[in-house]
Amino acid sequence: MKLNWTLRISLLALFVISCAWRLSRAQDPPRRIEIVAKRFQFTPGEITLKKGQPVVLVLTSQDVEHGLKLEAFNQVVKSKKGQSSQVEFTPTEVGTFVAQCAVFCGSGHGGMKLTIHVTE
Amino acid sequence: MLRTPNFCLLGLSCLLCGCKVSPPSPLERNVVVAAEHEITVGNRSQKNPLPLTHQTLAAGKEAFGHYCVVCHGLDGQLTGVPFADRMSPPVPSLTSRQVQDYTDGQLKWIIDNGLAPSGMPASKGTLSDEEIWSIVHFIRHLPPAGSLGEPDVYSH
Repeated sequence: MKLNWTLRISLLALFVISCAWRLSRAQDPPRRIEIVAKRFQFTPGEITLKKGQPVVLVLTSQDVEHGLKLEAFNQVVKSKKGQSSQVEFTPTEVGTFVAQCAVFCGSGHGGMKLTIHVTE
Repeated sequence: MLRTPNFCLLGLSCLLCGCKVSPPSPLERNVVVAAEHEITVGNRSQKNPLPLTHQTLAAGKEAFGHYCVVCHGLDGQLTGVPFADRMSPPVPSLTSRQVQDYTDGQLKWIIDNGLAPSGMPASKGTLSDEEIWSIVHFIRHLPPAGSLGEPDVYSH
């Protein structure tokens, strides 16, 4: 009977600790990554994210309007010349994904890509 | 094997007509169209990897609007394009058999690589693969002629 109560209290403590840990993680500010767009490239051209970790991508366009089409994350963000826009999401799958410029910007538009690695 | 006579025929046509733009003769047109469909345009067997959805068609329409509309019109049927029949060869309506008889893979190849002899430019690198495949879907499901009006560039 005594052991049974000890076990119950331990399980309850574990549950509380687990909830607190999850809550603290959820309240962490999302990671912020600045991306500069200029005909016909993104800088940096590759980024690495962590699965389950929220991220904010801040897109700044230097010359004309550009955008980022993040098909794998179901997100699109566009930014006019000299302005910044941002998009927040949480990667849920490990892998390598390619984002494409979302606004037609000229002769090299089709090759304007950002590679996103998502790791565990 | 068939290329040499074709080029000879084209060369002879150029010599006879000089640089002046004039409509191709039926013979010239038929030879070139047959050669394009059967010999010069590759990628016959590739299938469109994008599913046909409302979103894909909308994306195709948008991508088509980047610059294809300047020669093909918003509807792909030359509406409002003032020089469509003044080029040699004339710009074809995208609903014509000449275009629709191509496979999806061939249409992708033509958009990627352009088409000679014609004014069709190569768009590989200018448009992404996904945009081009969505355009192929749009070409297969064009709206009624005239329903989208004419490109802004011709009305301002």
